[in-house]
Amino acid sequence: MDISGIRLSGACYAPAGKAVLSDISLTLDEPRIGIVGRNGSGKTTLLRLMAGLVRPTAGIVRVGGLDPAADRKAMLGRIGILFQNPDHQIIFPTVEEELAFGLRQQGRAEAEARALARDLLARQGRAHWAGAAVQTLSQGQRQWLCLMAVLAMDPATILLDEPFAALDLPSAARLARRLDGLPQQVVIVSHDPRVLERMDRVLWLEGGRLVADGPAAQVLRAFRAEMDRLGEADADTDLAG
Amino acid sequence: MLTLTSPVETRAHRVPAGLKLAGLAVATTGLVQMHGAAVGGVLAGVVVLYLALGPAFARHGLAMLRPLWPFLLVLALWHGWTGDWARGAEIAGKMLAAVALANLVTMTTRLDDLIAVVERLARPLARLGLDPRVMAVAIALALRFTPVLFWRTGQLMEAWRARSARRPGWRVVLPAVLLALDDADHVAEALRARGGL
Amino acid sequence: MERTVTHVALFAALIAVLGLVPKIDLMAGVPITAQSLGIMLCGTVLGARRGALAVLLFLLLVAVGLPLLAGGRGGLGVFVGPSAGFLIGFPVAAFVAGLVVERWRVPVGPAAFAGAVLGGIVVLYAFGIPGMALVLGKTLPEAALLATPFLAGDLIKAGLAAVITAGLANVRPGALLSRN
Repeated sequence: MDISGIRLSGACYAPAGKAVLSDISLTLDEPRIGIVGRNGSGKTTLLRLMAGLVRPTAGIVRVGGLDPAADRKAMLGRIGILFQNPDHQIIFPTVEEELAFGLRQQGRAEAEARALARDLLARQGRAHWAGAAVQTLSQGQRQWLCLMAVLAMDPATILLDEPFAALDLPSAARLARRLDGLPQQVVIVSHDPRVLERMDRVLWLEGGRLVADGPAAQVLRAFRAEMDRLGEADADTDLAG
Repeated sequence: MLTLTSPVETRAHRVPAGLKLAGLAVATTGLVQMHGAAVGGVLAGVVVLYLALGPAFARHGLAMLRPLWPFLLVLALWHGWTGDWARGAEIAGKMLAAVALANLVTMTTRLDDLIAVVERLARPLARLGLDPRVMAVAIALALRFTPVLFWRTGQLMEAWRARSARRPGWRVVLPAVLLALDDADHVAEALRARGGL
Repeated sequence: MERTVTHVALFAALIAVLGLVPKIDLMAGVPITAQSLGIMLCGTVLGARRGALAVLLFLLLVAVGLPLLAGGRGGLGVFVGPSAGFLIGFPVAAFVAGLVVERWRVPVGPAAFAGAVLGGIVVLYAFGIPGMALVLGKTLPEAALLATPFLAGDLIKAGLAAVITAGLANVRPGALLSRN
């Protein structure tokens, strides 16, 4: 199966000398990949490295053979990323503008981008959303908009950062169904092992290092055992940095 | 976001925005040079213009002039004291007419149309390095984030009140600035994630 | 580039929010608008160029009809009213405030206070007073007299701008773009 092929070798990220990720080497080819870890384990930074939003301070990151931080234009069709907080992602005041922006970025004319955006909404049974102000949308609807804006650009891989964290149960179920149906490679970051159970492969990050990598059942079982052990111990006193 | 465009749809809404702005510029320039009875004539004309667009519209227009009352009070006191009433009335009339005419354009022109005029006017600035597309994104971002920041600052104040009997004072300004700075970083990243500017 | 644009846009939004947030009491019982505090902060935090651009963007939004000035005012009318001079002076005020913080290499607090006073008061009044004189048909000294009641409040705001800018430099040194 021809998938974008994300490859990291010896990748480190240590802004101002403080190590956030250390020596990550991976090749990601599976269609469904989960990244699990506690808060602050470096999961989000790993996604940002893959998306080319930050450069590794050492080592190499390649997506389809290209440097994602350098070749931004080529990455638009390769990688889409969904931030944890939709409010950090939505740039424009109306739904249609938000959807059209990415299409404009891929070189389409304004009118064509607008038409495609409306078409996309109509196909999802949401034609009436076009002129809606984004702040009138619910959390789940805003996340749906972010996902649509990313999908409109048709990237080969979609990276999602804690996509279920802020959703109520029906919204979460809808999103899970939606993700299941996508032909793209999907990489999901989560602190919650339950949402990663059906992944083809799960990576476990701890303190910026890869501590386990394998089939979901096996990695998540070990992760749960460790989280239970930590939960028993009544200490959360270490300060970061 | 709520705009000052009047929800009462009038004939003036259909006049092209550029034409209204040009008319406003000419009228305001003319008004500055007028004296005496001519000012009264223009003011009467403006009143007729508002009334012609409907009583509800005219009431809305009158409400838009409310911020001027302290200045009218100052003029009344000042010229009452100097005894030069005619001069005071002329100044007040000019001020009211100029502001009312400008408000008329604002009330009868949709936000999108005005932004389109701005973008058209800014086009020659491209030669000075101001990319019109960048300007359009900046306008959109400000429109999008004003209500977001407003809401979150409100939350900060609520969080303050939840733990304090005193009203949140200027101390919420620093966290509000931090919110703006953080949002700016996040959105810059979102822009880069989708190809940048 | 992206960061410049988002900083400019978010600070334009911040100026609006500081004008709209109801009842920020700068001093007990004296509700003064924090909007001109926002203008000062644009300069002292973002620096001259970005600060001035943020204020220009804010004024553009006001001009196209958004009620973002303190008290929910906006539209083209405010640009021909008695306060028009102050509005026109806003971006210059932010620019000067930013320039002082950028160039005058003393600790952030004093530099920000000097910038806020020079930009947010001296420069701003230099624009605002002639504007008032013009619209209200008064001489410059007469108009200056009309503006003096606001001086005390603006001095307090300059002090707050300094405290807030120094506080920011303290908690998030990297965020103070006027010094980076």
